Amino acid sequence: MRQLNFRRTGSGLASLASPARLLRAVARLPSAVALPRGEGFGVLGVIYAAVFTVVALLASIPVVALVLGSLRDSAPGLPGHWTWANWANLASPGVVETLLTTLEVAGLTTAFAMVIGTALALIIHRTDFRWSAAMTAMLGLSFYFPSFILAMAWIVIGSPGGLINDVLRDGMGIESVSVDIYGVTGIVFVMVLHQVPFAYLTMRGPIMGMDPSYEEAARTAGASPLTMLRRVTLPMLSYALASSALLSLVMALEQFGIPVLIGVPGRVTVLATQIYLLCRFPPTAYGLAAAIGLTLAAITAAAILLQRRLARGGRAVVTTGKAGRITPIPLGAWRWPANLFCGVYIAMGLVLPSLILLYTSLIKFFTANPFDAAFTWRNYVYVWNSEATQQAILNTMLVSGGGALIGVLLGAACSYFTVRLQPTGYRVLDMLVMLPFGVPGVVLGLGLLWAYAYLPVPLYGTLTLIVLAYVTRFLPYATETAGARFVQLDRSLEEAAWTAGASRQSGVWRIVLPLSLPSLQSGYFLLFMAFFREISATILIFTASTSVLSVSIWAFFEQANWGLASALSILAMILMLAVMSLLLWAMPGARQR
Amino acid sequence: MMGITVRGLVKTYGATTVIDTISFDVADGEFVTLLGPSGCGKTTTLRCIAGLDTPNGGLIAINGRVVSDAREGVFVAPHKRDLGMVFQSYAIWPHLTVAQNVAFPLTVKGERNTGSAVGWALDIVGMTHLAERRPSELSGGQQQRVALARAIAARPQVLLFDEPLSNLDARLRDRTRLEISRIQRELKVPALYVTHDQTEALSMSDRVIVMEAGRVVQQGTPRELYHRPVNRFVADFIGSANFLEVRRAERQWHLADGTPIQVDPLSDAGGTEPRVALLRPEAIRLDAGSVVEQNSTLNRLTGSVLGAMYLGPHIEYVVAAGGAHIRAFSRLELPPGSPVTLTFAADDCRLVDDTAASPKRNPASDYPRQSPILENIP
Repeated sequence: MRQLNFRRTGSGLASLASPARLLRAVARLPSAVALPRGEGFGVLGVIYAAVFTVVALLASIPVVALVLGSLRDSAPGLPGHWTWANWANLASPGVVETLLTTLEVAGLTTAFAMVIGTALALIIHRTDFRWSAAMTAMLGLSFYFPSFILAMAWIVIGSPGGLINDVLRDGMGIESVSVDIYGVTGIVFVMVLHQVPFAYLTMRGPIMGMDPSYEEAARTAGASPLTMLRRVTLPMLSYALASSALLSLVMALEQFGIPVLIGVPGRVTVLATQIYLLCRFPPTAYGLAAAIGLTLAAITAAAILLQRRLARGGRAVVTTGKAGRITPIPLGAWRWPANLFCGVYIAMGLVLPSLILLYTSLIKFFTANPFDAAFTWRNYVYVWNSEATQQAILNTMLVSGGGALIGVLLGAACSYFTVRLQPTGYRVLDMLVMLPFGVPGVVLGLGLLWAYAYLPVPLYGTLTLIVLAYVTRFLPYATETAGARFVQLDRSLEEAAWTAGASRQSGVWRIVLPLSLPSLQSGYFLLFMAFFREISATILIFTASTSVLSVSIWAFFEQANWGLASALSILAMILMLAVMSLLLWAMPGARQR
Repeated sequence: MMGITVRGLVKTYGATTVIDTISFDVADGEFVTLLGPSGCGKTTTLRCIAGLDTPNGGLIAINGRVVSDAREGVFVAPHKRDLGMVFQSYAIWPHLTVAQNVAFPLTVKGERNTGSAVGWALDIVGMTHLAERRPSELSGGQQQRVALARAIAARPQVLLFDEPLSNLDARLRDRTRLEISRIQRELKVPALYVTHDQTEALSMSDRVIVMEAGRVVQQGTPRELYHRPVNRFVADFIGSANFLEVRRAERQWHLADGTPIQVDPLSDAGGTEPRVALLRPEAIRLDAGSVVEQNSTLNRLTGSVLGAMYLGPHIEYVVAAGGAHIRAFSRLELPPGSPVTLTFAADDCRLVDDTAASPKRNPASDYPRQSPILENIP
């Protein structure tokens, strides 16, 4: 078996730093796909080489640029010197304090979100709870509720000049008690609301996929439903819990929209927002930002590696694949507390924020009392007629619609090679795809900023760069959806095509693709939605002509123009719902997940 | 030369040798079965012939054309080998109708008019009336027939079967066995059939190749294998068997308790070391009581019933006799402890090599799985 040189180094990243070696390796890739001395696999070989090269470039360019950037004492593109100062500055009190705040916020968020999300999953899928279908749909919707819009809504509600204080002061005359969302508590509160659907969705699978016989065995051995839950169900879910908590932690660590909106006015800085502040407000320190970005990426990457290890070990323990009818646990006296729990979450995570935004978008000046308010359409009229907004909507649709297509095709190709053909070097490809998953969006944006200031490619200030950033960031979504399907597809289905006279290409085209279409559709849906609401990867690389909806909304809000920000948010969410329904209608496969 | 030729085939996965230098032929029109326990390398052999696995050594030729030669670096891709293959899982493509499945081997070669060939193939397996159905609407047996029709639709040069009956229930298995034999004889192409089921191997094959731990242990007609197994492994794997430990004293073989016994002289090479004698339960006559009548060509042992299992057509008795536990069939109803006489011909008691099945190995063929991090995101 021939091996690529860099497989032996153990780390693809290390070898990617040597361009000559990489080129030599890539040149040999087409022959890696062919069975030894085989014939007729040339086209796939070329595709493999192309996919490998593209993914290697996507993943390595920002990371390499960050490493180099962290060693510069100037802004990207400006003359400067090599220096270790940025790395030394990581030990400065400011950075250390930010790191501690980040860990505190992420840790608290994960803990609360996991408890609430798991509780919701257990209530919805394990008990005789009556509103399961409605709750599942609502939680699905809140999963797609953009984080920065949620943060905006809660700022309107909970800031010193916001709804609650207005009601307390003007409505009830209470001066002694006031609420201030601008703080660690506020950030954690909104982040928990934002991450509960993710915790729920990751725990739902293991909970529903659990072999019911384990629980039935506990019941027949004399355990009450609660004892069973405590001594059998939850311990058996421990792997899934740990793995889901680690992913939650990664998301909390890289969360940008919520801490930037709530944290900056409240002077609470986390690593992701510090990177942004260092790049946007003078005195800028792009090199230090790069060093911080790499540190943050290292932390999230460690969490992801640990999670992958857990997920591999845990799969065998819980899921046997034969999900049967599970006897629901009767809620009994707990029915009303359970209903209340679910209702309160949906109210705070979805309904209240939407209503507040709608209200804010329709009034001239902010007041908590709707009877005092002067209602107006002017925010909508302004937003609708603004050329910048129209451009942003067009850009968003182009980036999401086209970018998701590129992403899902590239992801499916990667998965076909890593899961099915497994040619020489496929492990490196697998690792390269996963690499950016640990890189927070704002760090990825910074990497691209550094890279395209030096690379002789005129990408800076183009939509292409934004698409590149999104595809890089969310490629794992596509590879995992497609890969999960490829793993399920029995190998003999493809082998039967070969023995019936189909070449590999024709087997892919006529058998594998049609059979994986539902997964590709659901991958497209997932990517479209992710691209549509992404802000962290865009915030450092957008320009006036490449602004997207998320950035426009955020810009309005930053100018303290709540009305316009709310109106555009409402428009964006209506657009999102419309596209969502259209995609689900046109692509039945996307509904499966 | 027509048919399949395999010479010195070797297949390894890492340090594990799954096929260890095996050679055999399948003549034109011949039905040959690879028989052996799971993990013996029979499926891997078939997959090497199909081109789904790449051999590490040896040569494979189909109808005189070398399709795989490790030393010369020849490897013909599966789709250029002109095969028809039936998979254990059937591998009926769920997104195509029955007719589209069967037409695939033709359309993939660019043929437009597939109607008559598809009609012919579906007719042979008796599935014409279900041509427009989806695979999900078919029973296991019907899917199996579609797989068969698809394998023969393009009139391939070779038919390959990978345990095609193992997912069917017993009654359906019997019927389909006959059908596969009939179709293969009609098409007159060489067929290689892989199974771990001795009944399938014995009833369908012109010739059976018994494999164990990646090697060929014995090949021959079903009758040869049943009556003249080369060793204890083959005897045990095909049919049921008693193995009696015998030792020679003064030109005469004796059982463990010293009872003299006559064995098939053709199996007796004349050594003096202790041996094992094969005695099939169905070759034994079991009589109640102790019959004293003597006959020089028959062996007679007296003993008593230890236990009995009612099997329907007959009762299987375990009898303590000659210092051994011997299984024998009878239709007599006897309580445990009854005295019985076992009678069997010397020709039915053959000395065999005492090679038992070696411990099972699991070839590292498990498909790697990816960890779907995001498997639950809607």
